[in-house]
Amino acid sequence: MAIQREQLEADVLIVGAGPAGLGCALHLANLIKQHNASGVKPELSAENIYVLEKGRELGAHQLSGAIMNPKALAELVPDFEKSAPLDTAVTESAALIFTEKSSYRVPVTPPPFQNAGNYVISLNKLVKWMGGLVEATGVNVFKEFGGADLIYEGDGVAGVITEDKGLDKNGKPKDNYTPGYELRAKVTVLAEGTRGSLTKQLVAKKNLDNINPQTYGFGIKELWEVAPGKIKPGYVAHTLGWPISTKMYGGGWIYGLSNNRVSIGLVVALEYEDPRFDPHAAFQRWKTHPFVRSLLDGGKLVRYGAKSLPYGGWYSMPQNYLDGALIVGDSGSFLDAQRLKGVHLAIKSGMLAAETIFEALKKGDYSAKTLQVYKNKIDQSYIKTEMWKVRNFHQGFHNGLLEGFINAGLQEITGGHGLTDPMRTHPGYQNYKEIYGRPAPERFKGDGKLTFDRLTDVYHSGTRHEDDQPCHLKVRDLNICSTRCVEEYGNPCQYFCPAAVYEMAREGAGLKLKINAANCVHCKTCDIADPYQIIDWVVPEGGGGPNYEGM
Amino acid sequence: MNIIVCIKQVPAKDAPLAIAGSWIKEADIGFEMNEPDSYALEEALRLKEKHGGEVVVVSMGPERVKQTIKEALAKGADRGIHIADDAFAQLDPLNSAKVLAAAIAKEKHDLVMTGLQSDDHGFGQTGVLLAALLNLPHATIIMQIEVQDGKMRLKRELEAGWFQHIECPLPAVLSIQSGINKVRYATLKGIMAAKKKEIAAITRESLGVTIEPTQKIEKIYVPTKTKKTEFLTGTPKEAAAKLVEKLKFEARVI
Amino acid sequence: MKILVVTEQRQGKWNNASFETLVAAQQIAGAASGAISAVVIGKGVAALAEEVASKNVAEVLLVEHELLENYTPDGYCVALKQVVEQAKPELVLFPHTYQVRDFAPELAASLGKGMIGDCIGFRNEEGKLVFVRQMFQGKTAADVVFTGSAPWFASFQSGAFRADLLQAHSSGKAPVNAVKVEMKAEQIRTKPLELFKEAKSAVDLTQAPLIVAIGRGIKAPENIPQAEALAKAIGGEIAASRPICDEGWLPMERQIGSSGQTVAPKLYLALGISGAIQHVVGMKGARTIVAINKDQNAPIFEIADYGIVGDIFEIMPALTEELQKTKG
Repeated sequence: MAIQREQLEADVLIVGAGPAGLGCALHLANLIKQHNASGVKPELSAENIYVLEKGRELGAHQLSGAIMNPKALAELVPDFEKSAPLDTAVTESAALIFTEKSSYRVPVTPPPFQNAGNYVISLNKLVKWMGGLVEATGVNVFKEFGGADLIYEGDGVAGVITEDKGLDKNGKPKDNYTPGYELRAKVTVLAEGTRGSLTKQLVAKKNLDNINPQTYGFGIKELWEVAPGKIKPGYVAHTLGWPISTKMYGGGWIYGLSNNRVSIGLVVALEYEDPRFDPHAAFQRWKTHPFVRSLLDGGKLVRYGAKSLPYGGWYSMPQNYLDGALIVGDSGSFLDAQRLKGVHLAIKSGMLAAETIFEALKKGDYSAKTLQVYKNKIDQSYIKTEMWKVRNFHQGFHNGLLEGFINAGLQEITGGHGLTDPMRTHPGYQNYKEIYGRPAPERFKGDGKLTFDRLTDVYHSGTRHEDDQPCHLKVRDLNICSTRCVEEYGNPCQYFCPAAVYEMAREGAGLKLKINAANCVHCKTCDIADPYQIIDWVVPEGGGGPNYEGM
Repeated sequence: MNIIVCIKQVPAKDAPLAIAGSWIKEADIGFEMNEPDSYALEEALRLKEKHGGEVVVVSMGPERVKQTIKEALAKGADRGIHIADDAFAQLDPLNSAKVLAAAIAKEKHDLVMTGLQSDDHGFGQTGVLLAALLNLPHATIIMQIEVQDGKMRLKRELEAGWFQHIECPLPAVLSIQSGINKVRYATLKGIMAAKKKEIAAITRESLGVTIEPTQKIEKIYVPTKTKKTEFLTGTPKEAAAKLVEKLKFEARVI
Repeated sequence: MKILVVTEQRQGKWNNASFETLVAAQQIAGAASGAISAVVIGKGVAALAEEVASKNVAEVLLVEHELLENYTPDGYCVALKQVVEQAKPELVLFPHTYQVRDFAPELAASLGKGMIGDCIGFRNEEGKLVFVRQMFQGKTAADVVFTGSAPWFASFQSGAFRADLLQAHSSGKAPVNAVKVEMKAEQIRTKPLELFKEAKSAVDLTQAPLIVAIGRGIKAPENIPQAEALAKAIGGEIAASRPICDEGWLPMERQIGSSGQTVAPKLYLALGISGAIQHVVGMKGARTIVAINKDQNAPIFEIADYGIVGDIFEIMPALTEELQKTKG
């Protein structure tokens, strides 16, 4: 039976209220305001810009370290320093090498780790603030609405179906059932962030992948309140080494914020060989390093979160324009793969999309031909300059740190070219090595003070979902989980998930996958790192997910 | 039927609470509509759909409270009244009710509704106090409302599985039991329409209410467990017998 | 300090929380060298007044009137206001029942006073009475004091004091004094109709004094009747941690924890519950916590008052049997 959906029509529909989506909305609303003031026809309206956000609040799903290069924000909001929640300017940048017992500071902090002129921020707060600016322009921002499906028309996209609300776990309508809307738009902007569920659909359906597929990193973060005097606000350190083996790519961060808060975290590339590597446990172990332990001693965990990040860089950037649609931000691979910085590139990509859409609205032409201008604008902007320099950076680390540093060095002196250009890569999950009957390692438990088990951490992510709703983690073939995956890879989902969503439960003589979907922190790692690629992360009922306040 | 619903904004359920003296640090945490109030709002909207009239939401607190009022407007309330008061969290129940009552008295009201209690202070007194101050009849812990011929037939919940029907004239004040309905979702059109709805801003001072505190929260704190776990050993039967003994004579809970 | 305790009865049957409040009053009076007047209100409740008179109180005030036969907030407020005015207590205490929630704040307000409701304890700090109540759904406790002039009004949560500690009257019996109250039918604006019992469609676990909760340790839905039998034997409600409700083995409204209900019962019996923080935040306010788990390192034992390390499938039936024995 076809569901009766209410239809609404917008000029521009932006899916996702992160830095890219809100950057796009704000810039476009500003352009429209100037345009209307000039009296030139046709008159446009910011109210016909819709933004969808699946989180309960703006910023609820925003997670980053975060160090922000302010240059894009300065273009978007020239007097941003007056009102933006910037927390702290970076005062000191350090690169630390960790061994199990000691740490060494690299005497001269290498350029990629230099952060002078940047700010340590809470992305959650920044996005909340941006959202306020956007709403003040008249743009309609809809919280607790996710994009569930794309409306395809011709060769492109004509809008989005929002998620159905009020279905029970078996998919039956409850008392307050509200079917999703059919939201049609002249231009749909996919700003879903990392591994966007609609972007994934679209890229596959329209073959938009670049010469390299997207590859991902995975970051786990805790926000702590530490004893006064333990860390200077603006102190920024990146750590390499222990407990990440040299065969893997990854490292930790320590950023000092105001009010004795400190952001700590660990990033690893989702291309490791051991399918039972547990990134959450690795992060917990990293905290037991004497350097980190002494920092956190006497402190208190405030918030926890985890998120994947698109690492692939320039050669993984999908075609980002087609009839009626553009892709911005993390969904479009706008991230500096070397410095792992994406906030400014996300904002910039949103702004360039806005400029493209603005011209299209004036022309009344939303075809790929018109929207292609977006790509040209990217090529002419600092997005390309920054990303081109490091176009092969991440691929160089595909076989681990050592080889990576050699590649990085060569690339540094050849303007990003290195040994081969373009350097090809493959999806990270293909790196898994089979377990050949090796017994499973014991799970990390945590001491409850410095280190935590995953459930305790999830609690601190503020994650909440309506319990009685269909599972939003669609596993296409549960049989594989109980048979092949048990044998071949030992069910990596139980290990890579930072929120204890996946669990192999005993059932009779065998194992059966149990999905604790309500724990999901929307990091998308399962969708990325599953060896059989049979997990589809789809949007749950709007409002569900973590609450990354202050993160 | 003109219905006034009092809604409170409280810290988000999952907010990391940091205590600061007699209240919490408000920076870095989110706020949301007090869940029990959302049932009152839903009930009000259903009554309006049945009997016509207007639903007005009243909320007190700092500027952020407007967000919660907007949410109520998006769900279908007709207009909002924001009583601006940065020190609302420090008010005792009687004085909060005095301020609310003064604002409500200026509005036409056939029915005033509140949730059962707030998820922060949890006083659970506002509805009853409003009735006293507005000189209206009231009923609390309401499970069902039927309006006919200018009066209401109500189902009240009592303890231990007992219920009671009561008859209550209009106008009146009702405190709604949580969970009596399934709360609706805000619709896109509702959210857009809410932007154009009125939120009247008034200050506590402008209502001319004299605040005379009757009680004061001296401090709030996380209770600590002082007792150690007493392990009961033996065969299952022995352990069970020991437990029953303890529960009966030591903890005295059965 | 003169303390008035307003007891509660419905149709001649006590609400036992009344006696807990009398205990609270005795403890406060003991600490502040005071005298207790117990109020029995209704119609035809003289026998109840006699019963209270055998307890350690200075007097029993019997408040009877035709219009007090059935509880109404208006009737109780009109009558009790006169009682308070005549008796001139400094402190008026109530059990925190549904009925008290319904009228006591109004009674206090009619005298221009505030009420500290739902207290779980008190302290006497050199003559200053500090009341302890829960805030943020039990996540924190709060110390609250009265700032205005007496009389002060307060109510105590059911289970906060132990009724069995109630002291008997030292010389046998306290005097029962009838208090005459003036009231007219038109003062009562709501009309109470029939009382009825109903299988509750939605279980309100927050009001259940005894809860038996099951976790993953229950293993399979076919084992749940064992836990239900135990709940029945103890006279409590069955509840569960999230995985059980996720599986659909028990309905969602029986879920305790951060995404379910927050409860603070007299007794919380946790069967095969490991004690993940998500669950613990929903029940740590319970007065007595019993944990039964085969893993002696389960975090639930950190907050339990009594623990049994063992197989729940052996202990559940044994416990059910013991309980049935004692309840006879």
